[in-house]
Amino acid sequence: MKKYFITSFAILLVAFVFVRCNKFPIDEDGLLITSRAQCYVSNFELLGSDFQTVRTQAPVIDTTALTINTIVFYGTDLKNLYPQFSLVTDAKLDPKIVGKVDFSDLANPKKYTVISGNRQVKKTYTVYITVQPKP
Amino acid sequence: MQNKYFGLIFLMVVVIFFSSCKEKEYAIPLPQTGLNNDCIKRSLGPNIVGMNIEFTYAMALPNATGKLVSSQVEATIAGAAGTYLENKSYYTNGSGVDIGIVVGTPSVTTGTKTEVVFSKDTCASTLRYFYYIPEEARGKSITFTFSAKSSDGESVSYKMGPYVISKMDMKLDLVLSDNNNSYLSIADMAVYNSATAVANADKIDLVYLYRAITGITFLHSLVSPANTEYLPGVTLPAGVTKSTKVSKAWALRDFNLARLQYGIYIDDVDFDVIDLKDAPNYAINTKAEAGVWVETADGKYRAYVYVNKVDNTAKTMTVSIKRLQVK
Repeated sequence: MKKYFITSFAILLVAFVFVRCNKFPIDEDGLLITSRAQCYVSNFELLGSDFQTVRTQAPVIDTTALTINTIVFYGTDLKNLYPQFSLVTDAKLDPKIVGKVDFSDLANPKKYTVISGNRQVKKTYTVYITVQPKP
Repeated sequence: MQNKYFGLIFLMVVVIFFSSCKEKEYAIPLPQTGLNNDCIKRSLGPNIVGMNIEFTYAMALPNATGKLVSSQVEATIAGAAGTYLENKSYYTNGSGVDIGIVVGTPSVTTGTKTEVVFSKDTCASTLRYFYYIPEEARGKSITFTFSAKSSDGESVSYKMGPYVISKMDMKLDLVLSDNNNSYLSIADMAVYNSATAVANADKIDLVYLYRAITGITFLHSLVSPANTEYLPGVTLPAGVTKSTKVSKAWALRDFNLARLQYGIYIDDVDFDVIDLKDAPNYAINTKAEAGVWVETADGKYRAYVYVNKVDNTAKTMTVSIKRLQVK
């Protein structure tokens, strides 16, 4: 009886591991690699050191030209900003955002790469920031 | 083998059945005899010099045993003038208002001890104690010993603490006004106008200004004297040139500064851990109930300046400050 029990358990365990590993593999970040090939930014936010938005209006996201254009308030401290990207389902961003980002070098805009759920498609977006001019 | 397993399971069921069905008899608690006491600390947040630490001390003995004679509090560091033990015992009426009943003579403070002698024949009382934190307690720990005596010669005591007294300073409700009392000194925690700022030029950390500029949002701003780009139309007094680090904060409504319903407290440790090395030297469009973290140009002081109120018509800003000397 004990023998039957151990054998059944071992078969179940092997079946479970096999199914899990083949259907949804995970990547180096521990995220599921899925079958989705979509790869785009759906929304973009920019927060100041007080975690309030610094945008004066909605950002313009061009998924063909792969650009994000946003205008920020006059006097925004560009060295201490928190960008937030909303991505299509299962996609991930590279480099990861782990804290404040310095956007002050306007001549060399920051670039972020979106990687699709199946990790096969990569699109690099450029973030262009314009500071509201003083009249 | 099957019999062995069945035997084990049967034993387990029996054990569970007996342990879960055992009835625990309720026993009416016996009243404590003799003089008893208890104490709670009523005030919350950091203990800041110039503010009170408030306690409530309760003492009682059975009516047949005797009555209360006196109550005393001893602090390890003598409280500043204004330290007292209430001579009233409070109850809350139906409207939620605390009503005080005089039970003793006004408290007498001698050195570290504060005492109330009961004048009413009472066997139970709750007195409030207000310890006004003195300057010499800054950065130190204080312990309080509450004690009571009854007419039958019994005495009890209750230790509270130790409580660490904050090193930081606090200043409330400084009014800044555009083109007048515009100069804020963190070192002095004071406001200066253009005439008095000249004499204190080395202490001026921020300039307040209000500008309603079409097309941009400037309004109420705190700017370092060094950053003239954000000081349009301001002629700085001679020698006012400092570059102070400023970082905006939102929804950080410290209870001591804001005196609102939010239970948020800024304490010494917050000033120690905050990193302002990359902070700018200006904060424009500062709103009421917002604040700014500040580090002076010499790195000597860190402060949190909370904006209590702004007035667009009068072009004024009311601020309250918590400040710690870090160097």
